[in-house]
Amino acid sequence: MGKFVATGTTVTFNGSDISGAVARAELVINAAEVDVTDFGSSGWTEVIGGLKSGSVSLDFHHDYGTGGVSRTFQDLVGTIGTVTLIAANGTAASSATPKYTATVLVNSFTPIAGAVGDLATFSVTFPTTGAVTYATA
Amino acid sequence: MAELAAIRDGLGNNLATISGLRVAEEVIDNPQPPVAMIALSSIDYHTDMRFGAKYNFTVQVIVGRASERHAQRTLDLYVNPAGASSVKAGVESNRTLGGVVSDVVCESMPNVGAITLNDQTYLAADFLVAVYV
Repeated sequence: MGKFVATGTTVTFNGSDISGAVARAELVINAAEVDVTDFGSSGWTEVIGGLKSGSVSLDFHHDYGTGGVSRTFQDLVGTIGTVTLIAANGTAASSATPKYTATVLVNSFTPIAGAVGDLATFSVTFPTTGAVTYATA
Repeated sequence: MAELAAIRDGLGNNLATISGLRVAEEVIDNPQPPVAMIALSSIDYHTDMRFGAKYNFTVQVIVGRASERHAQRTLDLYVNPAGASSVKAGVESNRTLGGVVSDVVCESMPNVGAITLNDQTYLAADFLVAVYV
């Protein structure tokens, strides 16, 4: 598999497939920069990797129907949930379509959004808690 | 996943709520005014990570001979944003087309004027309708 256009990232939340309500998905994994610059650094800063962290950003289409994503999130602010994302338009984990799993804090939800005439959408960015793992099978 | 034919049926049913307006769910050769013809203009795919799409329809309402004052007065009623003869209100009278789609919005009426059909000049208006599935 080579380059690809993102058209089918599989996204689940607490085990439910919510891909049909997701318009954008992003998982970011960071490592803190820890400065170890000293007098032996020859005039350059030196850094090493510190604590890792991550975030999951998702853009949704609002849907309050039965099983709709807006219903899913409206009672979950302040709770911990599990997000999985399968890359490269995959529907199952493989080496070409790795499946990432992150435990996240649902720290926000926007139940009402949208200007007149616009599709009603909402966006979230959840911080991860604990390790972000991935599987290839 | 909504089938296009079911969407056309739903739009047709919504437009049929306008008294006296004939409805053609496809473009026809010899329309008998006043008539609303439903034509698919374009589809925006990939609106979500699965099968989401936005269907863009043009509903052309032909009201009668362009020279007839009655046709112009009828058109005045059809283009109102609300009311029993409002095409916008009719299109949006059942926003899910009976559970077939997520939402239906009549976005605008960008064109109004004379059109020529079968060597006759008619007064017509185009309504742009967005259907979200």
